Amino acid sequence: MSRFNLYQEEFHPSPLQHTWLEFRENHIAVVGLLCFLFFVIVIVLCPILAPYNPLTQNIDAILIPPAWDDNGGIMNLFGTDALGRDLLSRVMYGCRMTFGISILLVLVAMIIGVTLGAIAGMSKGVRSSVVNHTLDSVMAIPTLLIAIIIIAIVGTGLVNSMWAIVLALTPQFIHHTRDFVKQERKKEYVMAAKLDGATPLQIVTRSILPNMGEILVVQGTLALSIAILDISALGFLNLGAQPPSPELGTMLSEGIEVAYIAPWSIALPGFAIFLMMISINLVGDGLRSALRNRLLH
Amino acid sequence: MNKVLLRYTNLVVLTLLVLSFFSFMLAYLFPGDVLANLSGVQQHDPANLEQLKARYQLDSNIFVQYWYYLMDLYRGDWGQSFSSGLPLYEEVARTLPASIELSTYALLVSFAVGLPLGFIAGLRHHRNTDYALLSMSVLGYSIPVFWLAMILILTFALQLGWFPLSGRISLLYEIPRVSGFILLDIVWSDVSNKSEVLLDAFRHLILPTLSIAAFTTTVILRITRRSVIETMNSDYIQAAYARGLNARQVLFRHGIRNAIMPILPLLAMQFTTLLTNAMIVEVIFSWPGIGNWLIQAIYQRDFPAIRVGMLAVSALVVIFTMTIDLGIRLIDPKKSKVERVAI
Repeated sequence: MSRFNLYQEEFHPSPLQHTWLEFRENHIAVVGLLCFLFFVIVIVLCPILAPYNPLTQNIDAILIPPAWDDNGGIMNLFGTDALGRDLLSRVMYGCRMTFGISILLVLVAMIIGVTLGAIAGMSKGVRSSVVNHTLDSVMAIPTLLIAIIIIAIVGTGLVNSMWAIVLALTPQFIHHTRDFVKQERKKEYVMAAKLDGATPLQIVTRSILPNMGEILVVQGTLALSIAILDISALGFLNLGAQPPSPELGTMLSEGIEVAYIAPWSIALPGFAIFLMMISINLVGDGLRSALRNRLLH
Repeated sequence: MNKVLLRYTNLVVLTLLVLSFFSFMLAYLFPGDVLANLSGVQQHDPANLEQLKARYQLDSNIFVQYWYYLMDLYRGDWGQSFSSGLPLYEEVARTLPASIELSTYALLVSFAVGLPLGFIAGLRHHRNTDYALLSMSVLGYSIPVFWLAMILILTFALQLGWFPLSGRISLLYEIPRVSGFILLDIVWSDVSNKSEVLLDAFRHLILPTLSIAAFTTTVILRITRRSVIETMNSDYIQAAYARGLNARQVLFRHGIRNAIMPILPLLAMQFTTLLTNAMIVEVIFSWPGIGNWLIQAIYQRDFPAIRVGMLAVSALVVIFTMTIDLGIRLIDPKKSKVERVAI
């Protein structure tokens, strides 16, 4: 704390402030956070920012290289693809699709997972042990594999792949919530609430869940990076979003056909996914070590 | 000991039964005729139809049908594919080893690179070496595996022409299939120019292996680093220093063993991620593995193939993880419950 203080008053940050102070110390993580915010701005404002409609085809401007290439033009900053669609607009809308949908999926999976996890954590005996074993075996299977299996059953398509990814992400949230609730249930503040006559529902919602926020955020960043990878991988394999729609993975698989003459058509969408993943992972890592340091002090 | 063994056998058998029941139910869940989904025969004349119905016991109740399905699975009579008409058992026996081979090499590469680097990062904790390795690992596990594979193809196969673009081996060579593992098959075969063929197979392996290994290597690096830091900060390491051992002795006598033990189970978990990544990479490199085959089956809506392929992959994953888990439980006395990956 570098602020000037006349009185030697001790500064006691709240847990949330403390985490933020620890997080701010880690400059790389802050850069990751800024990058993350940049993507959020892009996906919110992309109808205003994008110069062209991502679906408009222009036969007169096919495979124009990006602006920094000798043959490139300023009209299409990132160049155009094999159908003359502006790549900058496509990448922007692609971020909106991939990133935005992933955030949505993680939120849905979080709500379902926390609810089920709290129920599992508060229950005892046979029921909880059955849930434990089922979860442990499900968690051993990677999410993408589960998603591919679900898509094999329900058929390809963006909405189906969204359901598949939600189903595949939920077990981890259940697992972490259950462990946390189990561990907190033994603590004294929960006992105090219980002595005040709180019902199990009140104990969970008023005493335990407020303490869980940070863990949920960390788990959420992890799930978000998995969701982005999965949704773009499914798009890439033509199992998720179908070709004309601007989804980053789908754009990559379309770009393969012209990869040799137009390497930018796979380099740029891939780089957008890469940058997204880096920013999310940096924020997640920074948060995790901030939490670890806070608990140490 | 016997109790642990019994528990694990129980768990594996139960999980496999659940998986097989699920795959049996898929025949009902998939669109189309149940009989066609089970047998893979799409057009049948009436006489044939009766015979097939009798074979799968479609007139009996569902548990009897499941029992016959299990017997068929056990005999290796898994029906035939819609698209190729070949028996599925042979298709899986052809593709599964190719995937296992690719994943195993990738796992070995990631161990060989990730473990030493993780140790270096952990021992140089909070110094520049550590920071450099850590930043590299963030890059490594953020890169989407399909994009990495495509960039590798663009630079090393198309621009530089160092490595072949796709497949397992050049079409010039004819290697009889014995085990399904290409390197072993070459060694066992009696081709005249063995070293040349081996070199060719190696060149085909390098790009797919590297693109799968990149992710796993960084995960291994991070798990190892965390474990080394925790181990080297523990009291018995301080005690060893206090007894007058030098840094080398402490590391080799106490550090390595104690740091490796807790990470083994977490590393075993990586095999499943590896297999999924392998499935994607197989599609890009046209590697004739189970992932490529399964995804082609999804495109062609080849329901018997999806049913069997899903069962084969998930059974492989379950058996592998359970076996590693059991092995670690048996050798590590400290271990009492399953832990989760933390990086």
